[in-house]
Amino acid sequence: MSIQPLRIPRRRTKVQWAPYLLITPALLYLLVFFAWPMTQAIRLAVWDEQGLLSLRAAPGEENEAGALEQGAKISVLDRRNVPLAPGEADGGPALLDVWFFVEGETPGGATVQGWAPESRVRVRETDPSGLPLRGTVRPRLGSATGQHTTVYAFPDERSDVVGELASRAEVGIAQRTSLEVWFLIEGAHNEKRVSGWAPSRRLQIYGDGATGRVDSGDTGRFTLLHIQRMLNDRFFRSALGTTFLLMLLIIPVQLVLAIVMALVIQARLKFNLLFLAIFAIPLAASDLAVGIVWSSIFTQNGYLNSILYSLGLIESPQAYLTAATRHWILIAVWIAEVWRATSLVMVIVVSGLQAISQEVLEAAELFGATLWQRVRFVILPLLKPSLQVALILRTILALQVFAVVIALGGGDVVTVLANETYRQYYALRNMNTAAAYSGLILLLSMISAGIYLRTVRGQEEAVS
Amino acid sequence: MSVRVSDEMTKVRARAKRRLAIKRALTYLTAIVLSLWILLPIWLIASMALTTPEAMRSFPKSVLPFIPFSFDTMRFFLEARGIVPGLINSVVVALITLALSTLIAAPAGYALSRYVFRGRNAFRLSILAVRAFPVVILSIPLAVTFINLGMFDKVSSLALMHTALTLPTTVLVIGSVFASIPYELEEAAQVFGCTAFQAFRRVVLPLVLPGIAAAALFTFVMSWNEVFAATVLTVQNRTLPAQVLVSLREAPDAYKFAGGFFMLIPSVIFIMIIRKYLFNMWGQSSK
Repeated sequence: MSIQPLRIPRRRTKVQWAPYLLITPALLYLLVFFAWPMTQAIRLAVWDEQGLLSLRAAPGEENEAGALEQGAKISVLDRRNVPLAPGEADGGPALLDVWFFVEGETPGGATVQGWAPESRVRVRETDPSGLPLRGTVRPRLGSATGQHTTVYAFPDERSDVVGELASRAEVGIAQRTSLEVWFLIEGAHNEKRVSGWAPSRRLQIYGDGATGRVDSGDTGRFTLLHIQRMLNDRFFRSALGTTFLLMLLIIPVQLVLAIVMALVIQARLKFNLLFLAIFAIPLAASDLAVGIVWSSIFTQNGYLNSILYSLGLIESPQAYLTAATRHWILIAVWIAEVWRATSLVMVIVVSGLQAISQEVLEAAELFGATLWQRVRFVILPLLKPSLQVALILRTILALQVFAVVIALGGGDVVTVLANETYRQYYALRNMNTAAAYSGLILLLSMISAGIYLRTVRGQEEAVS
Repeated sequence: MSVRVSDEMTKVRARAKRRLAIKRALTYLTAIVLSLWILLPIWLIASMALTTPEAMRSFPKSVLPFIPFSFDTMRFFLEARGIVPGLINSVVVALITLALSTLIAAPAGYALSRYVFRGRNAFRLSILAVRAFPVVILSIPLAVTFINLGMFDKVSSLALMHTALTLPTTVLVIGSVFASIPYELEEAAQVFGCTAFQAFRRVVLPLVLPGIAAAALFTFVMSWNEVFAATVLTVQNRTLPAQVLVSLREAPDAYKFAGGFFMLIPSVIFIMIIRKYLFNMWGQSSK
């Protein structure tokens, strides 16, 4: 038996597919329902779907001859009829021209076949589906062009004349066609004159028939209009200001309160788990319910007035949540939000505290540090990463304060960004401005999230 | 001599003991005050909701609640227009969200806790970031898309949206639940002759099931509470919070307070059930 030389197998770096397969559904879902809507929000905010009308080189053709902005003033140079493809007339009410292919007798007695406009033929007989079969030529009263009705080779008054029909002559109708009127228009775009053909459904032609405006475009373009509209919105400043004011009021109080709660939990009292559960109740409470809970306290017949009245501090119930007492609404929202969202900070801080080694805390106590000294010089510095995370998470969440504000103030006197998004969408039906508002919230959140991610990553480097 | 020393010692000891007792008492006091701060508002809304509408409107109110105790206010709320359908919609949306979210999140959570793979950190960080994003941003474009696709104002569409909201949290929670089960257990089972799947099914699954149930429950509550997207994405098929929100302005106080109490109950019960898993849910953002 010979000894085989020992062969060291080359390490193969095999790609593991299992984890990728496992995260694929979640990843796909988040792409479809998170990433995509976010890009759509931005698109809605800065993209004008009907911003530009592209002009054609010839009626009904695709070749572009330039573009005009929506609302641009135009002058009409010419008009032409273009056959309408089925289902094409979207975008606006099209100016239609209907023509009949008729067969009838000329004044001379010969038979003629050709196209005549609908306005020249009175339909006398239709088939069950409503298509015209027979009719008579309308008499032309007092017309300078003569008594007869011209018949053309094509459904267009510019095409060759094939003959004439006597007035009141009976005709058979073989075919009907709808044509859309296209206009050769001229207007100014970027201070240059452009001209080209455009369908009537995109245009609004004034009564004189020679001037008009671009009613709707068919091409999208970048626009700052929606953002401008948001900035000029009468609630915008107040909403932005209140959102930031609430952030400034809420977050410091929350941090302090959460640290106190966490220290209490850390003291390992009896019923520790019960206290923890009680402190955590608001974590699962709906913001709308919390708003209503606090409105039961601040309402005119509510508990605050009842207590103050019983103590003899006020003579009659005060109204807090009215338009005249804006500051009281703010205070109520402030207290309600502190009540609601402190739990989240508390849980983060508690788990941060648990990561601090117990010996460090005990050593500080052993060397006679007072509670304040321990908090200030030992706990807070060690807790800094958790506090940063909590802080930034809270900042992002503070941008979505919504239902509490509605429940406590109705949403008019005191308003926040989320509420304005809702107002633009729901009351004003203005999706684009609503999207501009949500884009603003997205931007503010991204800034916070960027800091948040950097903090988390920094922490992980510190841990490992 | 020795007597004097021990005398001194007992004195010092007694003083230290007294200080410790005072400290302890103060901590208890703080704990109780903080608990009252949390519990009192719930107590007050309960006493508003569980009395007659007349007592609810009276002034001044006694802080002693439930006098007279009655379900009249609650009944008034539940019989109001749109409340029962809203309740049904809320439960249906929350159940679909729970099922979808758990089904999609469980494999991802498992992958995060059991495998080291390229892109793992990026995936985890993006999930962490996405969790914090406001629902306000998603609702408007999704509403426009749903209108275009003919999916607007449907309970199922809202559930799809809610799943997107809850998914990141559910992935992280389930991931941390799996991470709390040592991989050695799975290995040991395989050493003793289980296949990988059997090891998962017979050893890991029973251990993680309570945690996953807690995560699912949390998903349910998140969907139950969500009001902004629900209001934006529905018109006829409102969920309970959306229905309450839109009728808040005209609603009488009885409707409001009973509604607030009714929406609050599940959360109180929920926290009591899952208090063991609280830290799996939010506490891990630092690790």
